This record gives sequence, C-alpha cells and structure tokens, in this order.
Amino acid sequence: MTSASTIAIRLPTTRPPETDGAPAFTLNAPVTGKVVGLRTDLAWRSWKLIASRWAEKLHAAGATTLEIETGAQVGKEGHDDRETVNEWSEKVDFGIVGLGTCGSCTSFSVYDAVTLEQHKKPSLVVVCSEFETHARNMARFIGHSNLKVLVLPYPLEARPEEELLRIAEEYYPQALELLGVQA
Amino acid sequence: MTSVLTSEQVEVAADGAALYELSLEGRWGDGVPILAATDERILAMLAATPYAADHVVGALPPQYGVATVELAAVNAVMAGCEPAAFPFVLAAMEAILVPEWNAFGLTTTTSSVFPMLIVNGPSRDELQIDYRAGCMGGAGGRGSMTIGRALALCLRNIGGQRAGETSRCVFGQPARLGMCFGEWEERSPWPSLARRRGFRAEQDVVTAHGGKGTFPMADINNDDPRDLLHLIAKSLAFPLSNMFLGGTGENGEVVLAINPIWADRFAAAFPAVESLQEYLWEHAWQPIDVWPAGNQEILRSKSRVDDDGRVSLVRRPDQIVPIVCGGLGSLHAIALPSFGESQMQSAVVNRSAG
Repeated sequence: MTSASTIAIRLPTTRPPETDGAPAFTLNAPVTGKVVGLRTDLAWRSWKLIASRWAEKLHAAGATTLEIETGAQVGKEGHDDRETVNEWSEKVDFGIVGLGTCGSCTSFSVYDAVTLEQHKKPSLVVVCSEFETHARNMARFIGHSNLKVLVLPYPLEARPEEELLRIAEEYYPQALELLGVQA
Repeated sequence: MTSVLTSEQVEVAADGAALYELSLEGRWGDGVPILAATDERILAMLAATPYAADHVVGALPPQYGVATVELAAVNAVMAGCEPAAFPFVLAAMEAILVPEWNAFGLTTTTSSVFPMLIVNGPSRDELQIDYRAGCMGGAGGRGSMTIGRALALCLRNIGGQRAGETSRCVFGQPARLGMCFGEWEERSPWPSLARRRGFRAEQDVVTAHGGKGTFPMADINNDDPRDLLHLIAKSLAFPLSNMFLGGTGENGEVVLAINPIWADRFAAAFPAVESLQEYLWEHAWQPIDVWPAGNQEILRSKSRVDDDGRVSLVRRPDQIVPIVCGGLGSLHAIALPSFGESQMQSAVVNRSAG
C-alpha cells in the first residue's frame, strides 16, 4: 500500500550466499622431508625471484620443492594450468601460491591456493599489500575465508634485485609460521 | 494478492530526484538517474521472457550473487530497458557467464576491460540498437543505451562489482556504464558476426566481447585497400597491447569495427571475410626489437618470436574479428582491444512465446 506521495520499489541487490569458511590446514611439523609446492606466475618476475630464494632455503632445511608456473586463465592453456595445479596439489605436502599483485592474478592465485585446500593441504597465498583485501574478499566469495594470506610490500615490480632478496629473507619466517611449520 | 516477486521492497518518495538520491546513497545506482523498479514494470519485463521470476541465470562474480530473472528485471527497469529489450539483457548475462568469457577474472582485474555487447539479428531497429552513425556512443538509441547499462547494473548489484573494492580496475572506461551496439548487417559485404558464429539470420544474438576500450584509427591517404589494411593491422599490434603481456596469444579476440565505405573497399580485395582476417593477421605483428630486453625475454620464453624475429599479435587469423557498423562518413575504424584472457561468447535471445 502506498500513499499518493510514495511508491513501492524493489531493490536490485542481493547478498552473496553466507557460508562458513571451508577449513584451512596447517602442517604442524618440520619441513624436513616434506615436498613443498611453489606456484609462480609467468607475469611476475619479482615473485619468481623471491620464490627461488625460498626454494633454496627450503632445500637447505631438508625439504624438496615442486615448482610450477601458470600464465593463462582461459582456453586450452587456462584449462591445462588448472589441471597442472590440481595434479601438483596431489603431490605436495603443502604449497605456496603467488603472486597477487593485480586484480585477476590475485583472483586466480586465490583460486589455485584454494585448490590445495580442497586437497586438504596447508596452503598459503602470497599477495602484495594493495591486494590483501581483494584476496581475502575473493577467498570469502568462493567459500574459503580461512585461507592463509601472506602480505608482501607493494609494489614489488621495479625494485632492485637485492631489495627483493631482502624481502624474501624478511618474509620467509612468516610464510612458514602461517603454514604451521615447526622448527 | 500475492506477488510472484520476492526481492526486497521498500517505499520511497514518488519523486525522480529523490529516487536518484536514494540510489546514490544506497550505492545501487551507477551515478546516472534511474527509473523506479515498481512491480508493474518488473512484471512487464518478466512477461517478455519465457523464464519464471525465480529462474536462476547464474551466480555473478565477483561476489557470486545469485542472478534470478527477477533481480535482472529489477536492474533492467532501473536502466530504462523496455520489456522487449529485456531478453537481450538475459542473453548478455548468459554469454558472460560462460566460463571461457572469464567473468571471474574480468570483474576483478586492474585492466579497464568490460563487457562490450554486439547485437545481430532482426530486432535491431525495433529496439533502437544503434549500428549506424555514432553507434558506439552518442546515437542515443534506447536499446543501445539501456541493454548494456542493465548488464552493468546487474554486475554491480548482483555480482557486487564495485570500483576500487571488489573490482581493482585502475581506470575504468566509459563502457563501464554499459556498451551495446549492433552490426550493420545490411551494409556488410561479409556474413554477420552471428552468422559466422553459427547462428541463423532470423535469430537475435548478443555477443559479449571483453573489450579494453575503443581504439580509434583514421586515414585519408590510402587508396589501395591492402595498404590501408596493412596500417590497420600494424595499429592493432601496438606494443603495449594485453596480447603481448606474456601469454601465448592463443586467447582473446580483437574486434575491428569497419565503416561501410571501407568495408566495400576491403571486400573488393577480400570477398571472403576469412581472407581479410588472414591478411590482417599476416601483418599484425611487430619486430621483437621494438621491445626492451625484459619484454623480449618473456616473449621468447613463450615462443612468441618467429624465425624472422616477428611477434604476432594473436596466434590465429580468426582472433581478429571484423564487423561492419558506423556512419557513412568513412575515414575511420575502431578497434576493441582484447583483455587477452577472455574468449568472446554469443547467446541467442529467447523471448516469451506470447
């Protein structure tokens, strides 16, 4: 019922489905003897450098690494990339996925990190600070609000190599802590 | 009487300016005045489709809000759609929900990409879907101005796409308010885009292209169609195109809108559209030394450089998509560059039998 000076309208919005976040997993063990997955992205050379330094440190700690690189979102290559992530998730004990430093690459980093969680593996998505909220939003939107997120400085691009390696050293302990790696 | 409509209802002042203010305050407007989504108007929209109000078209990223036909109709009313145009909105939504269109990536990217809707079929005139002079903006046809806007409002209000929040789009683009235009099929010397994509001439078809903007080209100096097409191809292959960003060039299409005068000139040399695409593809490349060393390394790592040191814009001729539209003033072409990681999708328009 409306008065002459009012009308009834329907609102155009909807709320996304509210779900409890899917469980996240932690290692609760040392890295020694573990297979650690590292997922890099063709687009981000800075992250490749950081991931390669982390691989060296993981090797030094007695772990092996299984490294994959993605680069496509659709088409045969996108399908192949997601299939690679799926198979990689089966093989590793836990995994680190990056880099979220643009909109769609953050979305797909979250998506690939969630694939690890779907295999019940400890998973960490690495993003730059500018994209932290976006990563947490996307994880929530696809039902994995508990996904662990490591936040690196922004921007990483155009920093000198030595600075990137310093960032790799600085954030490595935090990455392990988030994943539940024990000393 | 019990309404079939279930979306949230509120009472507002019966005043256009007040409604506009409310849409801004509630953040469900797009910054442009809207029409009131009354039940009468929504039901008229629903009557134009074969779908029930609670039929789910899909879950729209980035928030994966569930897009029912009713909610789409509410947004279409707000956009100013007439009921006969509403099935085109639904077809557009179906097209962008095909996974290969990559709404997951495109609604969240930093890139200025947005659905650009190209309409083929017999209803273009009836619905005022512009395909002649000023078809990409300014002609003011109701269909063109409202169908794209309705889809944009759906992405905002159902998908939750908000600039600077869920969408990380750095610049945006005018098409973000909605972009929809037709192909001037009657002036095209080649089969229409929809026909080439497997649809029949009597079908209304909406094709969604993940376009990064309108990229203008102009020429007054070339009489030879091959010379002009050579320059167009080189312009399409601009070095900072997304297609060169590091992918393999396998995905995505570049739309080339050709005015009818130029289309006739080009068709004299290339009667088959496939031969036109082949010629454009053969020339849409840049020499590797255009790029600095860092880019060169990436392009080489993705096998983008051929034995002659050329880097092609796309892998295949069919990824360059000519369409005919625009005014008869000639002299200009417009490219709609690709995001790259998105594949154009088409959907047929389904109307109610009544």
